[in-house]
Amino acid sequence: MRLSRRARTLAAVVAAGAVLGPVGWLWQDSLVLGSFSVMAAGEPDFGGGPAFDHHHGDRVVATVGEDPTRAPDVTVTVVARQERFRLPGGREVDGYTLNGTSPGPVIEARQGELVEVTLRNESVADGVTLHWHGIDVPNAADGVAGVTQDAVSPGDEFVYRFVAEQAGTYWYHSHQASHVQVPRGLFGAVVVRPSDVDDDATDVTDVTDVTDVTDVTDVTDVTDVTDIVALAHIFGGTRTVNGHAGDSPVAVEPGERVRVRVINTDNGPMAVWVSGSPFRVVAVDGTDVTEPGQVAGRAVLVTAGGRADLELTVPEGGARVELGGSAALVLGPPGPPTEPKPAATVDLLSYGRSAPLGFDPDAADRRFDYAIGRRLGFVRGLPGLWWSVNGQLYPDLPMFMVSEGDVVRVRISNDSGEVHPMHLHGHHMVVLARDDVAATGSPWWVDSLNVADGERYDVAFVADNPGVWMFHCHHLGHAADGFVAHLMYEGVTVPYRIGDGNEPE
Amino acid sequence: MRTTYTVLAYAIAVLIVVQAAAIAFALAGLGSWVQDGGVLDKALMENEEDVPGFVVGFIVHGMNGQLLIPLLALVLLVVSFFAKLDKGVALAAAVFGLVMVQVLLGMFSRGAELPLLGMVHGANALVLFTVVIVAARRARRVGESAAAQVAVSHRATV
Repeated sequence: MRLSRRARTLAAVVAAGAVLGPVGWLWQDSLVLGSFSVMAAGEPDFGGGPAFDHHHGDRVVATVGEDPTRAPDVTVTVVARQERFRLPGGREVDGYTLNGTSPGPVIEARQGELVEVTLRNESVADGVTLHWHGIDVPNAADGVAGVTQDAVSPGDEFVYRFVAEQAGTYWYHSHQASHVQVPRGLFGAVVVRPSDVDDDATDVTDVTDVTDVTDVTDVTDVTDVTDIVALAHIFGGTRTVNGHAGDSPVAVEPGERVRVRVINTDNGPMAVWVSGSPFRVVAVDGTDVTEPGQVAGRAVLVTAGGRADLELTVPEGGARVELGGSAALVLGPPGPPTEPKPAATVDLLSYGRSAPLGFDPDAADRRFDYAIGRRLGFVRGLPGLWWSVNGQLYPDLPMFMVSEGDVVRVRISNDSGEVHPMHLHGHHMVVLARDDVAATGSPWWVDSLNVADGERYDVAFVADNPGVWMFHCHHLGHAADGFVAHLMYEGVTVPYRIGDGNEPE
Repeated sequence: MRTTYTVLAYAIAVLIVVQAAAIAFALAGLGSWVQDGGVLDKALMENEEDVPGFVVGFIVHGMNGQLLIPLLALVLLVVSFFAKLDKGVALAAAVFGLVMVQVLLGMFSRGAELPLLGMVHGANALVLFTVVIVAARRARRVGESAAAQVAVSHRATV
């Protein structure tokens, strides 16, 4: 068949249009112009529960806070600066500091105390906030720019108030331009100790002050536990623990019981194991494990943003807590050789003894799917292979709608080809099953859950903390690429806007 | 349009060479990093700040392979409709299809279960390279013979 020249051109134009037309439509559909409210971001998903109007709420997030008349028990002022600085270990970093250092100060409190932190931004040009990762704070104190507050501009300050209700290991970090600010230093550790423990028993030993820890080593009572914070962070391609690369000696004696509070502040999971000693995983994400068994020859996977508290008695020859194999805490005599990473990992699904959850997940009011995938498309006008949730790309990710008191179940599945550390703000989720295998160990409460490629997790929580809460991937680069969904309570309204200086990720 | 087609096809071929070079550099650098006592884990791989030098090889391979080459392959497909080349559309469509397969193989071979797909990814790269070179050479040959014909007819009219 011979087509005329004109007919051929027309056919070519139609064919080109057929290829480019859908591409162009998808491109324009992905553009996010100006600023927007998180209340209008995403597709409302009521999870099979009753629907409600979510554009008009009576409670403004900023007012969902602690009793303003109550006097704080712990008062801390944190000054954020953008500058070149030296890590405690000597390496120079072009980034951000809190009170002149990074990591920032360890914030310590006892269970039940009201913590009041004043954040002052001295020179962070893009603005800054503090998010209390893993602490179920009231919404006003959650520290997400454009969602629960405006980013704090240079010269301004913001006051966070929350009651440290749960003893455990937590951390704080900026939630404004977090994929830039957190890797470069805007974070620190939070330790909440039980109210019934004697003060002398658990001094927090910061290995950055190795000279200061001598006074906690003269422990006479064997029931005493020495607290050690192990805040892991990769600065400039090198893993550090409390700012030190390589081996960090900790002045503890053989026979001493230690609790090592491992915190992963990076974008990917980190394996932790102990050379030279068995150990117990006594807490995960700020919740104690019920009857944790002794572990030997196994590693513990601490996901991005997650925490694990390891307890051990320092053996005669000392022990090494290996953080990913590239940094280590050396406890006591520097004797034991480095053991390679064990092939087996502690499976928290069956670790410890089962105990009541305190609610019935089978009587769920709402059931959501959180299916993570990856597909070709446009995000903010840029073509690429982007993370999708329930088949949708940013900004059409689901908005999980709940009412106060609801029992909520979520099925998180990952078929995206990569691991994702899923972080829910303001709540702890309990793992019910993985790949349809029911949990049999100690209740496994998480705020940061490692969901590997091909895995499915069933989790549940009680919606008991009204507000608007991010539910996102804590690979902060993925979050910045639009992998951010959120939980939206009935009757809550948000006066802040994302854009116009607020860039939460 | 014929020239555009030729240039695009050769450009894709050059980028495929860059892909092979970048991934070989990344793996060589990784080997040297481990020799020096370095440890690569997921947290370091996902670190986006001041990464060790060899990681640049992975980044170039990822950006080039997931964005630039698919984009050029798409443009080549569009241009092929106008280039009026014998089998021009078929070859451009084959290039685009092979690029898509290559991207998916790259993604899924890195997943937990199927690193063996990486072997297909490596082999498919050579198939893709061959097809895109054939497309480019055919287009250039047609261009040259057309130019020769023009020259002949030009001489005839003189």
